[in-house]
Amino acid sequence: MLKSKTFVKKTRSGGVMKIVREHYLRDDIWCGSEACTECQQESTVLQKDACIESNLCSYPHYLIPDTNVVLHQIDVLEDPVIRNVIILQTVLQEVRHRSAPIYKRLKDIIHEKEKHFYTFTSEHHRETFIEREPGESANDRNDRAIRVAAKWYSEHLKPLEAETDGLKVVLLTNDQGNKQKAEESGLLVYKFEEYIKGLIANSELVDRLALSNDDKNEVTSSKVLFPEHLPLSRIQAGIKSGSFVQGTFRASRDNYLEATVFVQGEGEDSTEILIQGLQNLNRAVHQDVVAVQLLPRNQWVAPSSVVLQDEGTAKDDDVEEEEEEKALRISAAEAARKTTGKVVGIIKRNWRPFCGMLNVSQIKESTRHLFTPADRRIPRIRIETRQSSTLAGQRIIVAIDGWPKDSRYPNGHFVRSLGGAGEKDTEQEVLLLEHDVPHQAFSQAVLSFLPKMPWAITPEDMVKREDLRQLTVCSVDPPGCTDIDDALHCRELENGNLEVGVHIADVSHFIRPGNALDKEAANRGTTVYLCGKRIDMVPELLSSNLCSLRSNVERLAFSCIWEMNHKAEILKTRFTKSVINSKASLTYAEAQMRIDDTSKSDDITKSLRGLNKLAKILKRQRIEKGALTLSSLEVRFHIDSETHDPIDLQTKELMETNSMVEEFMLLANISVAQKIYDEFQECALLRKHPAPPPSNYDILLKAAKSKDVAIHTDTAKALADSLDVAKVDGFPYFNTLLRILATRCMMQAVYFCSGMDSDFHHYGLASPIYTHFTSPIRRYADIIVHRLLAVAIGADSTYPDLMDKHKQSALCNNLNYRHKMSQYAQRASVAFHTQLFFKSRGILNEEGFVLFVRKNAIIVLIPKFGLEGTVFFDTKDKVSPSVVFDEEGPALTVQQHTFHIFDKVKVTISLDDSNIQHQKIRMALTEPVIPGVSVPVPDAAPQAKKPKLDR
Amino acid sequence: MATVQVSEAEKVYILHGIRDDLRVDGRGCEDYRHMEIETDVVSNTDGSAKVTLGHTAVLVGIKAEIGKPRPTVPNEGYLEFFVDCSANATPEFEGRGGEGLGTELSNTLYKVFNNKHSVDLKSLSICAGEHCWVLYVDVLLLQCDGNLYDAISVAIKAALFNTKIPRVHISTDEEGGKEIELSDDPYDCMRLNVENVPCIVTLCKVGHRHVVDATLQEKACSVASLIISVTHKGTVTCTRKVGGGSLDPESIFEMTEAGKRVGKALHAPLMKLLQQEERLGKKKQKVGFLG
Repeated sequence: MLKSKTFVKKTRSGGVMKIVREHYLRDDIWCGSEACTECQQESTVLQKDACIESNLCSYPHYLIPDTNVVLHQIDVLEDPVIRNVIILQTVLQEVRHRSAPIYKRLKDIIHEKEKHFYTFTSEHHRETFIEREPGESANDRNDRAIRVAAKWYSEHLKPLEAETDGLKVVLLTNDQGNKQKAEESGLLVYKFEEYIKGLIANSELVDRLALSNDDKNEVTSSKVLFPEHLPLSRIQAGIKSGSFVQGTFRASRDNYLEATVFVQGEGEDSTEILIQGLQNLNRAVHQDVVAVQLLPRNQWVAPSSVVLQDEGTAKDDDVEEEEEEKALRISAAEAARKTTGKVVGIIKRNWRPFCGMLNVSQIKESTRHLFTPADRRIPRIRIETRQSSTLAGQRIIVAIDGWPKDSRYPNGHFVRSLGGAGEKDTEQEVLLLEHDVPHQAFSQAVLSFLPKMPWAITPEDMVKREDLRQLTVCSVDPPGCTDIDDALHCRELENGNLEVGVHIADVSHFIRPGNALDKEAANRGTTVYLCGKRIDMVPELLSSNLCSLRSNVERLAFSCIWEMNHKAEILKTRFTKSVINSKASLTYAEAQMRIDDTSKSDDITKSLRGLNKLAKILKRQRIEKGALTLSSLEVRFHIDSETHDPIDLQTKELMETNSMVEEFMLLANISVAQKIYDEFQECALLRKHPAPPPSNYDILLKAAKSKDVAIHTDTAKALADSLDVAKVDGFPYFNTLLRILATRCMMQAVYFCSGMDSDFHHYGLASPIYTHFTSPIRRYADIIVHRLLAVAIGADSTYPDLMDKHKQSALCNNLNYRHKMSQYAQRASVAFHTQLFFKSRGILNEEGFVLFVRKNAIIVLIPKFGLEGTVFFDTKDKVSPSVVFDEEGPALTVQQHTFHIFDKVKVTISLDDSNIQHQKIRMALTEPVIPGVSVPVPDAAPQAKKPKLDR
Repeated sequence: MATVQVSEAEKVYILHGIRDDLRVDGRGCEDYRHMEIETDVVSNTDGSAKVTLGHTAVLVGIKAEIGKPRPTVPNEGYLEFFVDCSANATPEFEGRGGEGLGTELSNTLYKVFNNKHSVDLKSLSICAGEHCWVLYVDVLLLQCDGNLYDAISVAIKAALFNTKIPRVHISTDEEGGKEIELSDDPYDCMRLNVENVPCIVTLCKVGHRHVVDATLQEKACSVASLIISVTHKGTVTCTRKVGGGSLDPESIFEMTEAGKRVGKALHAPLMKLLQQEERLGKKKQKVGFLG
């Protein structure tokens, strides 16, 4: 059957080289239509009755979009209404070439069964392959290929017309020339907009249409607002010659007319270039890669300290701009001037769909509205919609289509709605999207790699495993924990020594390298814990069941077993894969109670006591070596079981058992780190915590000095010791505050690959080497460490990527990014729940401490809620009081009163929901009383406010 | 060099025949054997041609690459020759057997073709002193049945005619940095002017007369031969004597005159053929190596 014909296709790439590829054409590529009787296909994708109700096409039809339609209108194609589409290989290849993200989305649609998208390999079909003709550009050739394929389809389906109610193919293109040529050759062809507008009962799709070029012209005035971007070739030449620099554009959060461009220099050093003013920003959007030209030195400016937000109604494209920028100029002190430049071109746009809300236009009938993204660094986007009344008050997603040089705002289109603003689910979705946390349900491909249920340990599993089922192993976790990844045991040996074992869930047994499950986990990097919600890194079957070391079930584990003497000195360390049977899953409180309860003397309790005793010794040793005990306030919400609203706030309490578990986890991590580094010098995945540069400690030192306390920051040990002795009489909270400040001085701990770095030191733990081994259920780094360790002890085989330090380094970068983002998301989630909490409380009056002193504000920490807030002394509408800032103190004198760090103040706390998108906690001073600044203490009946604030 | 054993009687027979302008295979003294030319036979070269002359078969492939011009002639490109004597042609070439012949051939070819009178070397220049096209001419001997030079030269001329060099543009930025830009249209290419490319005519002195396109048997009867490269106008661009015997000045003159005549007559039909083939374009039926 297979009759192949050899063709040769010439391509030329890069240097002047002639590359010849063989191109085989075949006659066994089928049309994919259910209606077709001619093609001998096994399964079909396209439906026989392909009906989309439409004014234009009353008959069943298949759609053939051209490349530009796919590239620009992918949001519409993703809609469930659009079905039975033929994606030609020509189109697919071009899309892949032009935009990787859209290619991925297109592939996802194709894989979705309900969408009935069929890929037709037209380039290899004997009748639809065409060769490029002399004088034809590559684009023209592809357009022609699309037309030829469309023609083939229409002729292929013609004989079937009788039985299929006149099934036809419709070519969709936005290119006038292409459309005309297609019409000439007798094809059914429509412009995409034309087609979508012709659909019956799907008017909201029209909103999602990306604006095409000819539409934009009418939107904007003819006046050119921005300088033209330079073509890529000029930019590249400029970068080569050094007249331009390349960097990542980072818009300022506080001032929409200001941004910095972060230029990665050689090695570690990098510089920042300031960009100021709309003209100089030149349509760059946050995170774009841009080319910047430096301005002459006399035009350099200082970053303004003014907070400017692009607010109000849509500005006319030309007026006001002068005034807007005037505000910037005022504060340019000579000394503070920074390297300043202007954006001359965009190297790569990094646009993603943005979450935000609609500012409905004042004109009622208008379909053009401005969209304000939740992220303040993103400019407002002009979109066109007919559903503004429904969308107002909702969180929506909008994608940018382009930013013409004569438009004040970028043009975009509506993608989808997330739900009402302020609703918990919507806000959670927003914060996950904004922090780039992958949170979709696991795909079928991923789930297919899960073990089949019912699952049981097989004899093959036992071959390389030690049977530790008889040991008295137990786990200690916070209450409500379902992903238990560690368990412990301790027993006395015959020789009088103690055997201590840390047993970690053997996740790498279930997640094999390279499969879809592994790739998904590697991409997610970490489990994200939000208030009342957990976004798993691995599917629930693994995280809460098969890998979770629950009590009284047999589970696979990776064990790290030490022999110690009673002074907690390690005599022997060994690692083994094992099978365990946990005897109890305890909470920290339960474990604490067992230890304290002298009447109990069962095996579990004995084991716990032994562990506790050793942990205390280990902790002391660690602190002697200079490990830091830092503090940050963590808040726990008591969540109402019915409404899932927070009903109470509580700062986390630490018990002895917390530190008991922690101590052994640290020990296991250090032991494993040493082992894998000894075994794999080049590719061990480790974690380091660099020592902060001395300047980071400035705030801490100044703060301590103000209370006449000396802090030494030369070494971690010195810092730890001086923090221990730092006490002020009559101020018990001082030490905690100081530790909170010290925490802020620290650097971020990061994963790295041992072959790519030389500094392994972990500053905070005072350990020369460290890694993460103990939580493979929720961190991907641990899975890699498990694999390395398994190879090291001969329990598992290796694979190439594991030993490739560059691949591992890239993985580390992703893990670090995901960890950072998950922390931000976590914080944002806490902040949101705090807001919910205060929303139901009305105005509260609480005691707090001044944590920082700023030029025009003080930052106050409320220990009761672990909440931080800013008290501003200059408000827009009021006459600002006299404020004198002393940088050395640091102290701030407002009228007659001077604020220092650590001052005790009283503030009212309320929710400021005037801006629904950026709800925030507002604090106002009640004590000390400063006339004109402080506010009166609120009435003692805040509950009265509740009904009004309730939704 | 491939040789055959010829007995004395055979020699006398051949010699006598030639004296009477009648050669063993029925040709006259200045006739070529049947010649077949096909161009564009190797797809991954920029120009290629295959020529068979009697049983002699050669394949020429030309690859154009960007190189640095020779310092003495900064505004010209150049050609490089390599002749590969495949052991397919004759068992004598096995191992390093063909190396000597290969070098001798490529040296001669270099002399004949690499000068500005034969090929327009200036058109190969991209940017004086910095970049130029270098044409790597690879000759592969597939079968030897005498008269390699003539067959190779015809194949080279055909291959040069067939050569399509991608068109490049030099873009200059403000700082004077130069960048080579390639056109993305595969049809946008430069053709060489092959009008002045000479063909080689080898004349073998057999007895008192000389023959062109000698077979191996005739070659065995000859003591010396003269290699003449002739342009379409009949201009001699290069002559070389090969073989152990000697030639008297008068016969050299005679042979040169005959060479000019034959060469001139060779060019016209060759060019006509090549142009005809070119016009066929894609409709051309490929013969290749199995046809």
